[in-house]
Amino acid sequence: MDRREQFQQRPGQAADEETSRGRRPGPAFAHASEAEFARILDFYQVAWEYEPQVFPILWDLDGNLLESFAPDFYLPDLELFVELTTLQQRLVRKKNRKVRRLRELYPNLRIKLFYARDFRALMLKYGRAALLSELSGTLGQVSPHQDESPSAEPQNRPIGAGRAGRKGVDIDLAESAAPAERDSKAGPGPHYERRSRGARRRAVRRAAAAAQMPAT
Amino acid sequence: MRVSEDLVSDVAEVLLTEEQIAAKVAELGKRISDDYAGRELTLVSVLKGSLPFMADLMRRISLPLRIDLMEVSSYGGTSTESSGLVRILKDLSAPIDGRDVLLVEDIIDTGLTLNYLIRYLKGKNPNSIKVCSLLDKPARRLVEIPLDYVGFEIPDAFVVGYGLDFGEVYRNLRFVGVLRPEAYES
Repeated sequence: MDRREQFQQRPGQAADEETSRGRRPGPAFAHASEAEFARILDFYQVAWEYEPQVFPILWDLDGNLLESFAPDFYLPDLELFVELTTLQQRLVRKKNRKVRRLRELYPNLRIKLFYARDFRALMLKYGRAALLSELSGTLGQVSPHQDESPSAEPQNRPIGAGRAGRKGVDIDLAESAAPAERDSKAGPGPHYERRSRGARRRAVRRAAAAAQMPAT
Repeated sequence: MRVSEDLVSDVAEVLLTEEQIAAKVAELGKRISDDYAGRELTLVSVLKGSLPFMADLMRRISLPLRIDLMEVSSYGGTSTESSGLVRILKDLSAPIDGRDVLLVEDIIDTGLTLNYLIRYLKGKNPNSIKVCSLLDKPARRLVEIPLDYVGFEIPDAFVVGYGLDFGEVYRNLRFVGVLRPEAYES
């Protein structure tokens, strides 16, 4: 089984359980740690969206987009993005840089970085220490956008589309399935009070305007 | 999980001594007594971790008050499979509508449980809800909830004692200590 497929159905919430609540199947998580985090949020009834937005964070001198960043989760009720960084330290530095850049460009945006130690503590707290060995992370959130149209506006991504469809995914999961195949597995995620895409787009536009994004 | 017979051997460092805790509880009790004078206070203890704190705190508050207990299921529980959604395992035994509720917690880290509890209790129409926590671990916070009374802000470490457990053990330590990694890695 492809690892993405493995995490597509959120563990702990059986398909029939979701159907009985009238909810759609969960998104294809890029990693088990994300699936586990989503289960925790579900448990405590905190609404979440999986990678709902892509934020441009780097342009060349001509205004062409070079790099963007898609935080793992958005918690609409808390107006908080959460990025899980359950991976090796050398890769964490790279992700830290991206988050710093994101904060510079979008100062009104709230983002919480969840490091490996945070996740480990969470698992210990919930008596899930046995899962820790399975929950090493990925660096999949960073994409160079080599063939995408330059844009100053953050891209709204279909909920639950996951990161596998993007280019430049330098993670261990990248080889696990062809992009088209992975995209076909992506589906909309379950959300308690999902904001409309228009509302999210407007919110991000406001953040982008406040950050005085480079014109394209 | 391997637990030493005296429990103390599993503690790497004493973070808060019995005396420090007692002094802080007395200080919190005084503040709460001043703030709630003339009001109808109900202390709600969130089981099981806050039991020692609740027992000590209530005796340091010099006001007529009611106490009540609540317990909510924890993610993961005792099984390896998630049980779906958080549940109230023990609800309040008396109505709180119109009363001033002070939620007594042992520790706030992610804020997920507290967030759920506050939403739940608001549905019971209290006059006010405030939070008193012995320990605050802000480094782990996901849900930002104002804490009205905080005993100690603690570093990002796995702590046990004075009600705090690991695998239901260590609650009866009279101090708060950092658990040795060997204790939870074994």
